[in-house]
Amino acid sequence: MPETPSNGGFMVAAYVMASLIYLGYVLVLWGRCRRVGRDEN
Amino acid sequence: MNPDPDRAQALIRRGWRITLVSLLAVATVMVLALRFTPTEIRQGLAQKIFYIHAPSAWCAFLAVGLTGMASILYLWLGDQHFDRFAAASAEVGTVFCAVVLTTGPIWGKPIWGAWWTWDARLSLTLFLFFLLLGYHVLRSAIRVPTERARLSAVVGIMAMVLVPFIHLSVYLFRGLHPTPIVLKPSAPSLDPEMLRTLLFSFAAFTLLYVGLVTLTYGIRLAQDAGERSHA
Repeated sequence: MPETPSNGGFMVAAYVMASLIYLGYVLVLWGRCRRVGRDEN
Repeated sequence: MNPDPDRAQALIRRGWRITLVSLLAVATVMVLALRFTPTEIRQGLAQKIFYIHAPSAWCAFLAVGLTGMASILYLWLGDQHFDRFAAASAEVGTVFCAVVLTTGPIWGKPIWGAWWTWDARLSLTLFLFFLLLGYHVLRSAIRVPTERARLSAVVGIMAMVLVPFIHLSVYLFRGLHPTPIVLKPSAPSLDPEMLRTLLFSFAAFTLLYVGLVTLTYGIRLAQDAGERSHA
């Protein structure tokens, strides 16, 4: 039976990077919503 | 038809609700993948990258496909709503594409021994990403709304045409990228528990796409309404 490689660090890195990109974009949208709200008032 | 600020605010509120629910669903996917899905014996834990990489790729292709269709409808009907939707979908598609191009090499390094190879699918996905960046640069460079919409629609359609080539590239060219295991004519070739997590992940990321596009569309509608009222 083949030995399972230990590469959990790569998995963690991918999950962290994906979370950062998605949450970063959500933060950008939050900033844009605030600007739009300010411009309307 | 003039943009309605009340409709824009309603869309923004709906977009936030869907986005927050979808982010919770994506977090659940991560817990499911890490704690409750078996580890693939040959690839080890790196295989679990697949649960965020493949659904992100699906959403990037969905976003670009819908951008292209909305662009065609804009060129045909001249309705600004289609242009606004195309721009919103392309923006969200760029984010999904960025995740695909980030998580792919992180999986490639332990499995292929290289961060990147000039495999057809990888190269075409990178080309799609640059095309999407070009789409945004073009939109920000042109001030006249009708001209901006018309020219960016052409780029949107070009991006859409690329998507089937990217999907089929693993069959058309010999490369390292694995062939599809779910989106293929025959039954999915995956362990049932892995398939369950993957299907849940596809649903969660699709919901995230819907939420982000609703939000981005609402913001663009509010911006257009603001510009009209100032003009």
